Amino acid sequence: MSLRLEPLSSPADRADPALELATVVRNDEIAPGVWRLTLEAPVIARVARPGQFAMLTVARRGESVPVLPRPMALYAWDERQGTVDIVYRVVGDGTRVLTTWRPAETMTTVGPLGRPFRLEPETRSILLLGRGIGICSLTGLATEARSTGVAVDAVVSAREREALIGSDDFVRLEVASLTEVTDADGTSAVDRLGDRLATLASEAARWQQVFVCGSERLMRLATEVARASQASVQVSIEARMACGLGFCHGCATGMVGASEESPLVCVDGPVFACRWDA
Amino acid sequence: MSADVDLHVRIGALELPTPIMPASGCFGPELGALVDLDRLGALVTKTIFFEPRAGNPAHRLGETAAGMLNSVGIPSIGVERFLVETLPRFTRWSPPTIVSIGGLSVEEYWRLAERLADVPEIDALELNISCPNLEAGGHEIGADPRAVEAVVSGVRRRTSLPIIVKLTPNVTSIVETARAAEGAGADALSAVNALLGMSADARRGIAPLGTVTGGLTGPAIKPVAQRAVLQVVREVSIPVIGVGGIASIGDLVEYLLIGATAVQVGSATFTHPDTMLRLTDELAAWMRERGHASLDEIRSTLDTGGVRHELASGVSRTAG
Repeated sequence: MSLRLEPLSSPADRADPALELATVVRNDEIAPGVWRLTLEAPVIARVARPGQFAMLTVARRGESVPVLPRPMALYAWDERQGTVDIVYRVVGDGTRVLTTWRPAETMTTVGPLGRPFRLEPETRSILLLGRGIGICSLTGLATEARSTGVAVDAVVSAREREALIGSDDFVRLEVASLTEVTDADGTSAVDRLGDRLATLASEAARWQQVFVCGSERLMRLATEVARASQASVQVSIEARMACGLGFCHGCATGMVGASEESPLVCVDGPVFACRWDA
Repeated sequence: MSADVDLHVRIGALELPTPIMPASGCFGPELGALVDLDRLGALVTKTIFFEPRAGNPAHRLGETAAGMLNSVGIPSIGVERFLVETLPRFTRWSPPTIVSIGGLSVEEYWRLAERLADVPEIDALELNISCPNLEAGGHEIGADPRAVEAVVSGVRRRTSLPIIVKLTPNVTSIVETARAAEGAGADALSAVNALLGMSADARRGIAPLGTVTGGLTGPAIKPVAQRAVLQVVREVSIPVIGVGGIASIGDLVEYLLIGATAVQVGSATFTHPDTMLRLTDELAAWMRERGHASLDEIRSTLDTGGVRHELASGVSRTAG
């Protein structure tokens, strides 16, 4: 048994990425170890789609380390203001340097990148399953879904309550339900969460699509839930990247063992169609 | 760039409008969405092989204190698909196209050179000799001067395209492989390819890279690469392209002073995708400020007469 990920087709009208020298508007700690960065990046803000990401260069202009830029999900964007929001957790040297960026500094930024989530026109109800920082790729999708009247059930999972991300934004978007689960109180265990989702599915309108990010166990649960509701599943996955554009081949998924290279997370993903093959 | 400063250089029969080009593997025509590729000295493809290759398992990337590690393993769609799908995306830009070729045997380089010899859109070949020789126990071809001689002389017989040989630093004496390449008919050398490295994760107790070891690039390798360029330019009479850790105008000028004719920029393009264009502007400004009209006035002018101790020599020891 294995999870099978397949690239979605790329939308024909997807915009080319741009290099923007983005001005930092805000960069604040919003929860212990979790920061929200607002960048003035009008080109990205104008053409971004849910599920896409940007490469943020942590090294300042004229500096050369850290060498690798960081791929970051676009948490939110505002075309009118020309701003893009990134929510990140401090996990290593790069994100530690990122916390030192101050308003008015200029950051090398490339985006929007990758294939977006695909919300089918006939979809009326969706389930979002996000864990940890993985929730950040689902908030934009929730925004788009709500703007077109699609009902959203959201599940946010984390190690402990303080680490839950996005709850306020999901509430503001008037999601049909918000389920918060944590390892600390045991509610994030896959069997317990599975039972709650089964109850929710029997009460709510049937989901046509399920979207998941941030945990392989959640991916598997998503495929089981989806089978019961005859929904399709899309997953967004993470990888280290160097170029974000597809030429360095640093982010191959390694999911297909063959003579040909496996899909690249940056240009074939980060969103993939997901199936659990028995 | 103003007309008073001439940035053009010659690499054998190859005329380049500027000395700044990408390092193979750190560049693709995809960058054209972000920056104007017509302003580069040349375009260099990722290394291609004759047959398709899958490349290495994940994870393929790591970061170090002042560099990066990769174990991408050179995936390739093979030469026939390359000619149809990839090459046209390079040649729609005006700079010369340099095709990097690799092989897992001496003969694979020859077959590729023969296949590419009459492709009019190709302006030069760069031989990536840092590939494992599967016929000789998997050691790098570029670490064996006799294998280098065989690869380059065989390619020379099959093509009239300018040949650049990219030297590996993972050798005891880079001068020997440089001499072997020059003797076999190379038009130029590039120095150096990635240094062999690895990473380990103390907390998790694992080696994060899929193949355990990988190529170290970025600012960390500049001193090693510059030493190699100095050794090579003193031994050969063909042009040398400096590669390794170039991110600033200072880095670039250092290579020219040491004796490089041109330079390749690798990891720094990942950090700031506009690095090569910024360096082009800054090189012109640097030359203008110092009254240099051409790069010939700079090349190989590094004063290596030894460290002077002007201050120290002016201090006399007084009896105390």
